[in-house]
Amino acid sequence: MVKATPPSERSLIEQFLDDNVLFLGPDPDIMADHSVSIPNEREVAAVEAWKDRSDEIHLIRNRLQTACNESFDMVEQMGAAPGAKWGDLIAGIFSCQGDLALSSAGGVLIFSVLAQHPQKFILKYWKDDPTVGIRDGDIFMHNDARYGNIHNTDQSLSIPVFHDGEIVCFVGAIVHEGENGACEPGGMPGGAESPYDEGLKISPLKVGENFEFRKDLLTFLQNSVREPKLQMEGMKSKLYASLRIKKRVEEVIKDYGIDAFLATLRGTLSDTEAEVRRRLKTWPDGKVLSNVFADSTLRENVLIKIRCEVSKQGDEMVIDLRGSSPEFLNRANNTVLASMKGMLAQLFLMFVWPDLPRNQAVFAPITVMTDKGSTLNCSPEAPNAQSMMTFFPAFTAVQSAVPKLLFSAGYRSTDIIACWYNMITTFVYGGLSQHQEFVGNVCADLNGMGGAARATRDGEHSIAPIFASMADIGEQELIEEEVPMMKLVPHKVMVDNCGFGKQRGGHGYQQIATHKDTQAWGYMVNTIGAKFPSTYGIFGGYAPGCYPLCKVKGVNVFEVMKDKRELMRFTIAEIMNEQPFPGATYSAHHAGLQFELGEPGELYMITQGGGGGYGDVLERDPAAIARDWADGIVSRRTIETIYHVVMNYDTGAIDQDGTDKARAAERKARLARGRPFREFAAAWTRQKPPEGLPYYGSWDDPKVLYLGTPDKSCPADAIEPVMMPDPKDVEIAALKAQLLALKQGG
Amino acid sequence: MRRVSVDIGGTFTDCFLVFDQRRAEGKALTTHHNLASGFMAALEDSCRQLDVGIEEVLSSVDAVRYATTLGTNALIERKGPKVGLITTSGFEFSVLLMRARGYGDGLSDAEQQDLPAATRPLPIVPRSMIEGVDERIDYKGEVVFDVDEDNVRDVVRRLVDRGAQAFVVSTVNSVVNPVNEKKIERIVLEEYPSHLLGAIPIVLSHRVAGRKGEYARTMSSILDAYLHDQMYHGLASLESVLRKNQYKKPMLVVHNSCGMAQMSSTHALQTIHSGPVAGLEATQSLSTQFAEPNMIATDMGGTSFDIGLVTSDGVKFYDFNPVIDRWLISTPMTYLHTLGAGGGSIARFDRLWGAVEVGPESAGSDPGPACYGRGGTLPTTTDANLVLGYLDEKNYAGGSIKLSKRRAERAIREHICEHTGLSVEEAALAIRRKVDANMADAIFKEVAIKGYDPRRFTLLSYGGGGPLHACGYAGKIGISRILIPPFSAVFSALGAASMNQLHIHERSLYLMLYDSLKRQVLQDFEQFNATVDQLEQLGREDLLRQGVHPDDIRFRVELDMRYGNQLAQTAVVSPVEHIESDQDVMTLLDLFSSNYEQRFGEGSAAPEAGIRVNVIRVVSFVEHEAVTLERSSASDDAVVAPVSSRDCWFDGTDGALPTQVYNIADIPEGASIPGPALVETLHTTYLVYPGWSLTMGKQGSAWLAQGDVNAGGNSHG
Repeated sequence: MVKATPPSERSLIEQFLDDNVLFLGPDPDIMADHSVSIPNEREVAAVEAWKDRSDEIHLIRNRLQTACNESFDMVEQMGAAPGAKWGDLIAGIFSCQGDLALSSAGGVLIFSVLAQHPQKFILKYWKDDPTVGIRDGDIFMHNDARYGNIHNTDQSLSIPVFHDGEIVCFVGAIVHEGENGACEPGGMPGGAESPYDEGLKISPLKVGENFEFRKDLLTFLQNSVREPKLQMEGMKSKLYASLRIKKRVEEVIKDYGIDAFLATLRGTLSDTEAEVRRRLKTWPDGKVLSNVFADSTLRENVLIKIRCEVSKQGDEMVIDLRGSSPEFLNRANNTVLASMKGMLAQLFLMFVWPDLPRNQAVFAPITVMTDKGSTLNCSPEAPNAQSMMTFFPAFTAVQSAVPKLLFSAGYRSTDIIACWYNMITTFVYGGLSQHQEFVGNVCADLNGMGGAARATRDGEHSIAPIFASMADIGEQELIEEEVPMMKLVPHKVMVDNCGFGKQRGGHGYQQIATHKDTQAWGYMVNTIGAKFPSTYGIFGGYAPGCYPLCKVKGVNVFEVMKDKRELMRFTIAEIMNEQPFPGATYSAHHAGLQFELGEPGELYMITQGGGGGYGDVLERDPAAIARDWADGIVSRRTIETIYHVVMNYDTGAIDQDGTDKARAAERKARLARGRPFREFAAAWTRQKPPEGLPYYGSWDDPKVLYLGTPDKSCPADAIEPVMMPDPKDVEIAALKAQLLALKQGG
Repeated sequence: MRRVSVDIGGTFTDCFLVFDQRRAEGKALTTHHNLASGFMAALEDSCRQLDVGIEEVLSSVDAVRYATTLGTNALIERKGPKVGLITTSGFEFSVLLMRARGYGDGLSDAEQQDLPAATRPLPIVPRSMIEGVDERIDYKGEVVFDVDEDNVRDVVRRLVDRGAQAFVVSTVNSVVNPVNEKKIERIVLEEYPSHLLGAIPIVLSHRVAGRKGEYARTMSSILDAYLHDQMYHGLASLESVLRKNQYKKPMLVVHNSCGMAQMSSTHALQTIHSGPVAGLEATQSLSTQFAEPNMIATDMGGTSFDIGLVTSDGVKFYDFNPVIDRWLISTPMTYLHTLGAGGGSIARFDRLWGAVEVGPESAGSDPGPACYGRGGTLPTTTDANLVLGYLDEKNYAGGSIKLSKRRAERAIREHICEHTGLSVEEAALAIRRKVDANMADAIFKEVAIKGYDPRRFTLLSYGGGGPLHACGYAGKIGISRILIPPFSAVFSALGAASMNQLHIHERSLYLMLYDSLKRQVLQDFEQFNATVDQLEQLGREDLLRQGVHPDDIRFRVELDMRYGNQLAQTAVVSPVEHIESDQDVMTLLDLFSSNYEQRFGEGSAAPEAGIRVNVIRVVSFVEHEAVTLERSSASDDAVVAPVSSRDCWFDGTDGALPTQVYNIADIPEGASIPGPALVETLHTTYLVYPGWSLTMGKQGSAWLAQGDVNAGGNSHG
């Protein structure tokens, strides 16, 4: 029998433990909680004082919103990171308790829910610490995703705002800065094998006082990255944008009083949550299952299960992701739980209720359940630089489930859609620019993800990433001016590159890149879905295809252009199928390319994905297919074997009778191919993952997780982290085995 | 001075006629089917006021200046030729994909954020009319893939077979080296010589825009090619009408760069939004002549609210990538911010915040506000103004539109009161507060983001709704002085009358003034000076072609500069035309830093990141005599008799206040009217809030000032 510790002794022990902390790592309580803080007495009093003045509060809110937008524009203008230029940032106002209450209308929505954690850490640990403290003029920074935000390439900066000696709010900005001194350039190292390969790891840190950066800390940060210029410009832009919001906040307090300000921030959060609950209430109660798979760790092909069960009851929703894959302790694809919640919140803010304000209360009525130590709720020892490789699939799992509930909802604020393409298909680059600067960053082309098909309309081609509206893929001429990379094909829509359906998804574009005028230049690609689609259709619509990385080495296309122009080709299919350049090596890979130096004139080719299709392909309007044919984006094979349409390919005229007959025949063939469910299930079901399939996650029972082979598993509540062998070692072992076999054979 | 200036708007065509010492403000309904009819009707109205004949005027004026919406109309109506686009192989989808974000260009914030519903506009050049040519030029202008004649001929023939009536040639990096575009042009001309009937017009992108950015430049070229015929025929037919009425000089077309040129020296694109921009030119002229160095121009119409800025420091505000309709283009347009707020803005109850929201949706003029009785049932800003007593049911828009207060009350009751429990008047006040706050927030942000404190500016208010709302939005910003300008009813036409003949040429380049890695300041001035010389020569040729005397040509050199690899492109007016010394370089560096810190805050400059010039822009112009605007210093104690009185509702007062109504013609120069008051003019109503006063100036101008009746008006400044 365990003897209870007397209360007085317990407090002594607690005191001892509190006094002897090794270091202040991420606070599990802060990181696990995405709810809005309970209002303190001051906020309660302010709300009470302004309770019947919603029109006036609304005017104040709009004024503060304008301040956030002004600040956003400043960061976008002043920032030097490609991310800042394409809007991968946010600027906002946090309540005195650290909740993000108002944020800029533009920018990346995921930050809406993620920005709070470092603020809460600062309040909890630094406010009363005599060696740190929070004073007027202090500047705090942070980038370690384990303390909040998405990944270490994002850097946040905030400053407190005081009134009568009390903190009344924090104001700040977060920007995807790019380069951060990681083991690979560009800030998102797919090759990271531990958190210590991921570059800068700034826990919430005071970097300045009296509204100025400390020169020694600024120097330290610049010294830790490949682009010291970028680091300095990024910090300055965030600081001055924050100072601008601070000024506006002080003006509002002067004009309306502190109570009005506090009531506005708090009211904004509580009104938002109430509205979300009202909307959820109009959805039918029920449960939807949706399993998706990630097909790569970016280093090797594996099958990573994301198990998702969405339940809606009354005005609350539960997203249960238990049973998903265990974490990979030496791979960068793990997700900090808070990051994933941010991504899921974004689904609702962007694709379900885009009319709602951007603050963290939107996600408050939603509960997320995960297994601790899974790839969706990884431990602090697991690298997470490419967390998108698991939280994007998790996003898609929920996006796939939601329409089934939303279809019959009493209130909808936008179209019902299939799944958006969900991968950051783009080049990350690094090397010496033509201006002799060392640069490392990511191309904005990731913003051209294919749009999902809608209930009544096709999806739009390469239109927006899943994390931001109005995101820009930029102008090639401007990019080429900065870096030596040349896109021979920047954005060319690829034939059949979408999810087919009654409404088809938007197509994605292909890209062919090379470089010149540099002594050293390399590429990275961080994308899954080369073997198993990463996104899906809905209500019978197809998933889009799979997208390998293709390379042509041992060629200099600039010489080809000069001497053998007739060999030049401008599509991946032509280059890979015709292999026009003599002596070159053509290869296709999964799209997890770790930093690789290329030679001038060699080709690296990738394809931005398409959106999922909606509804039965046999119901697609033949006229829409004729339009796609005229635009050169659908193949004859697809027209005939998927859509079963008969048309004149020269004139584009549809043969309606022929189409009706072809579709009737296909419907008949479908019936012939069909099997009763029980029969199908009996033939299809296996008790365990098949041999030879590197499978991670639950199979049938969500409480048991498989660890790569059918023989190895662990309980979901006591996960064993996965350690993957180095792919080069695997390759060497295979080559050695081949050598041995040859020797033995000989 | 004898001068005719005409501005065509969506509803009215305005004419400002200067005939020696006399001036007239003419108005006529815009005749969308044939803009020349409205033009002549407005001119006739002006002539009637001065009792002179049209032919007498047209035969003796120094110029007819014209701000037209021909281009905008053609774009909206999609009237244009079938354009074939020839671009670099691999870039065939660049215009169709619109940089991804283009789906939202020209839409409201709410529409931009609604991704599931995002839909791109139907392309002006469909995929089937776009062909790639195998060629490539790199960032520094080196030809890495030469043009192949046979390849071009194939492409051209394919497009002609598909019905191309005009060609746009836009190849990558052509602004750095246009050789390939010119080669393609030569081949097209060989295939379809210009003297033959089958000739096809060709637009080369580097001639339309000198700035890097292939999507925006190509789109500009497409719009130019698409609008060219409509613009040409429209303007030519107007010129023909003018000639029949004895006008013998070339017509001057107002540009959206605050300049103008003859038709033969005008791109179609330069005419878009030229009317609102002309209003800003009038503000600039007023600022100089009234010695009011900092002014915010606000123009409130039925559906939109334009905000522009004039400052004493000479900083020029451009929109380098303006959105025309739904298309992002590349042209240095004078910056104006347009907000979806006007008399037609629809009010609603926002359940989320439990508060009244207004706009950006608008009832427009059809069906229009509920009180118009044209089928509109939703409450609008105009309905609120009517309910509050600010508008006269029987005398709105000069009596041309009869209003129904009952309909306005019903709309507000059903859509606002039933949700809020407010009385109709309280709800109308809430609508007013919100729409005024929306405009105030927009003004504040537009001015503040450029680094200025709006409270130190004089607010200029014109347009049909401006003077009715000015006290409201100015008060919310903390601005206490408002100027309703002279000739406010035709203010943009007045701007056209004061414009200079002007051309802008610009070129992208990569020029490090300070290289922080090498720790070097620019030593070789050749690239800078040669570029300036080339751009000056282009501007000089433009003006000489229009018959300008070479000695009258002036130049202004402007630089778009930035730190490191920033996006910010602060336009700096260079104090020197050419760089001759280290001192010149240091002057530019200092000037940029000081402009930058004014904009983003003291200490924000980051010269340690390096300083670059991205674009050199040369403004070539000939100064024309401006219309004289007279500031009054008179003070008149005369007691002005009101024409009537009616009850009006105001914020912060208990119940309705009896409010005197005046006719502007009865108020002598220098006389003051205390608020609350309404001053009715032929085209609009001035609303003087309680605590404010109105003091009459010259030429129809008036000051609104907060506080003492004698504190704000003419004696200031």
